[in-house]
Amino acid sequence: MTNSRTILICSGKGGVGKTTLTANLGIALAGQGARTVVLDADFGLRNLDLLLGLENRIVFTAQEVLAETCRLDQALVKHKQEPNLALLPAGNPRMLEWLKPEDMQTIAGMLSERFDYVLIDCPAGIEDGFKNAVAAAKEAIVITTPEVSAVRDADRVIGLLNTHGVSPVQLVLNRVRPKMMANQEMLAVDDVTDILALPLLGLVLEDEQVIVSTNRGEPLTLNGSASPAAKAYGNIARRLQGEDIPLMDPAKDGRRGIRARVRQLMQTKIF
Amino acid sequence: MTAEPTPQVPFCLRLPAFRSVSWQQWLPAQLPSLPPGDLDLDIGDWSLSCRDLDELLHALDQAGHGVQLLITRCRDTLISAAALGLPVREASNVIPTSEVRGEQPNPPKTKVDLTVHRGTLRSGDHIETQGHLLIVGDVNPGGSASAEGDVYVWGRLRGRAHAGSKGNSNAKIVALQLRPLQLRIAELVARGPEDRPQPGLAEQACILDGAISIEPASPPFLPQQI
Repeated sequence: MTNSRTILICSGKGGVGKTTLTANLGIALAGQGARTVVLDADFGLRNLDLLLGLENRIVFTAQEVLAETCRLDQALVKHKQEPNLALLPAGNPRMLEWLKPEDMQTIAGMLSERFDYVLIDCPAGIEDGFKNAVAAAKEAIVITTPEVSAVRDADRVIGLLNTHGVSPVQLVLNRVRPKMMANQEMLAVDDVTDILALPLLGLVLEDEQVIVSTNRGEPLTLNGSASPAAKAYGNIARRLQGEDIPLMDPAKDGRRGIRARVRQLMQTKIF
Repeated sequence: MTAEPTPQVPFCLRLPAFRSVSWQQWLPAQLPSLPPGDLDLDIGDWSLSCRDLDELLHALDQAGHGVQLLITRCRDTLISAAALGLPVREASNVIPTSEVRGEQPNPPKTKVDLTVHRGTLRSGDHIETQGHLLIVGDVNPGGSASAEGDVYVWGRLRGRAHAGSKGNSNAKIVALQLRPLQLRIAELVARGPEDRPQPGLAEQACILDGAISIEPASPPFLPQQI
């Protein structure tokens, strides 16, 4: 057995940033020299290829690999700028009907022989797609946003991960708005970690650049963007590799200048 | 399920090793080859929640098999089985994750006095017991705990709790931090308090003058006999 790591990226709720995290983390890990593959387990609504800008390069998919009509390396799509990163695209949505957890285990097993990191982009929900994806995973990253519904769903997913024996499970808190947190208009980081009781792997600030990069098909971490989200993704990748990097404190967000901080101070004086 | 005792030793269905395959996939293939009638079910080291176990039993029930005895090596499954009121036997070398006290080899007749659940009940988790229930851990929002006797939470109660689920109005709910979404005692239902409780104060909910009220927890904490 190699010391390859198979990591499931899941959230329960949709739209909290699973695919974005998978794409960015993949690029960041590859950029740090680790051989990385991202596996799209979201067969129904696949879009990991879109985010990586590799949609037009897909020839074969996981479906053909499983049917043994092509070799694994034929299906793997190498990223154009980041040669350490490969994508194994999901087959067509009809695959959902016959794909079994064992099939996912087979694919993940094949990938783990060649790569240091296998990142699995999990579909939203806790139905068959999730069960398939979780069967292949050894560890997991649960991503959530500071909203009650997302936290609730994450909690459910963590429970399911525990019963499937996936460990360790780590947490990424996405779309953090420090200002709203400071004004107590949003769940605070402590509130979330309090409920989920997981080690925090990283905080990602709400960042418009994420939307831009998603639409362009160029993950933020790709060209060393200085945006806060890109930095956060890079840090998450380093922490995964075992580096000890202190977590960002949303109260001392670097993006806010002195002016904003003075305004904050004045606001607190008024109350 | 039939109450008639079968003279011969019932067939024992053994689940495959934990996580080697998913039992949902495995079971349908086995069903045709099973002898008709009730059987013993050896869960092995599978950790099944109440929901999973219920699903498993339902699948067997639909195929016309009742389960006479459940054999398991996992404490969590043991609790699930006890919660569903199944006859259960511990296999040797039980994996110590959670713990059941007062469990007799023949539990459907003898009532379980106190069930101890170790670990947090997360959203969607549900535990239901016949006797009193002690949870060493939190009950998160979306999780629920139900007992015919009292419910004790050695942690934060932020989900739902139902004490005296079979109508015992003397039952109470005690938690180190009581911030439930909803409390039920016997037939009464109450929403949780809106304001945050003072920290470091265990609280209990019980029926006072026909309504559920919350007060600082007071001894005796030891559950009385049901």
